[in-house]
Amino acid sequence: MNEEWRLLKTGFNNAFNNMAVDKAILHANSKGLVPPTVRFYGWKPAAISIGYFQSLMEEVDVEACKKFGVDYVRRITGGGAVFHEHELTYSIVVSEKHPEIPKNIMESYSRVCGALIKGLKHLGIKSDYAPINDIVVNGKKISGNAQTRKMQTVLQHGTILLDVDVDKMFTLLRVPNEKIKDKLIADVKERVTSIKHILGENMSFDVVAEAMKKGFEEEFSIELTEGELTVEEKRLTEEFNKKVFSNREWNHMR
Amino acid sequence: MHGMQSKSVYKVPDGKLLKIFLDYNEKNDSINNIRITGDFFAYPEKGVEIIEKELEGEIIDKKRLMKKITEVVKKHGIEFIGLNIEGLAEGIVLCKHE
Repeated sequence: MNEEWRLLKTGFNNAFNNMAVDKAILHANSKGLVPPTVRFYGWKPAAISIGYFQSLMEEVDVEACKKFGVDYVRRITGGGAVFHEHELTYSIVVSEKHPEIPKNIMESYSRVCGALIKGLKHLGIKSDYAPINDIVVNGKKISGNAQTRKMQTVLQHGTILLDVDVDKMFTLLRVPNEKIKDKLIADVKERVTSIKHILGENMSFDVVAEAMKKGFEEEFSIELTEGELTVEEKRLTEEFNKKVFSNREWNHMR
Repeated sequence: MHGMQSKSVYKVPDGKLLKIFLDYNEKNDSINNIRITGDFFAYPEKGVEIIEKELEGEIIDKKRLMKKITEVVKKHGIEFIGLNIEGLAEGIVLCKHE
């Protein structure tokens, strides 16, 4: 009998709420209040998230974000800036001590990415893990991932691109040199792909989520049972939303 | 104590893009203030803030910086992914040349 983990489908939320929920699950799990959890979610409105160590003003055109109604938020995980629009985002929260989770951080990236690779296979897509934190299809990036470990607990979240609009992304992100912006956009278009691009048709969020659910179940020999955020997690979400992710000081920290 | 403001952008070999913002004393090449930014990973994340604090007053010299960063990394059990001690020291030294 496979171990039972919780599955959360929290729908589409704004950036601050999305990041607050992941942090709330991390805290609740670290206190032993909730089981290991896999969550699927989306972003409404579209948003840019930046890595914990990135400089907001260096990476994001804040004025353009305001103009286009795009949120921006700093994550608690490292890594790079991500434009979240047409994608499925997942998070996994599990104790560092869980036997399925390698102590070595790079190995644990590989395991979690393994779940996504198995999920993509259910959609008929062959993909590979590309260290440090990407998954690629024919050498093109389809998924970016970021992990943190706090309170002996692992949180990894990441994206599976359903579709991608590189031109829009570059109206929101800053580039180091405006003169080479066109070339940079052309390069990124060459290096990034999406489920729509590969399959030649739109694949719904729910279909991709179902495939990813199977991927996680197979990779970690678990059974995912749909659940809900607990009262305590909802309280923590509100707290983190207000005090951290929608807080100017947090987002402009670097 | 405001000194020379400088910035470097450095692609760490086999790693991520490091962007360092530095305020340093031009007279003796010592660091007043440093912000280490980029798309790398560090565990625990707070380790980077500790390194920034510990580098204040240090002389901008690659070997000396590497020695200092190594000490801090060991003391606090900091692990980098997409960044390493030499890359970090190199990024800081580049601020002086740009």
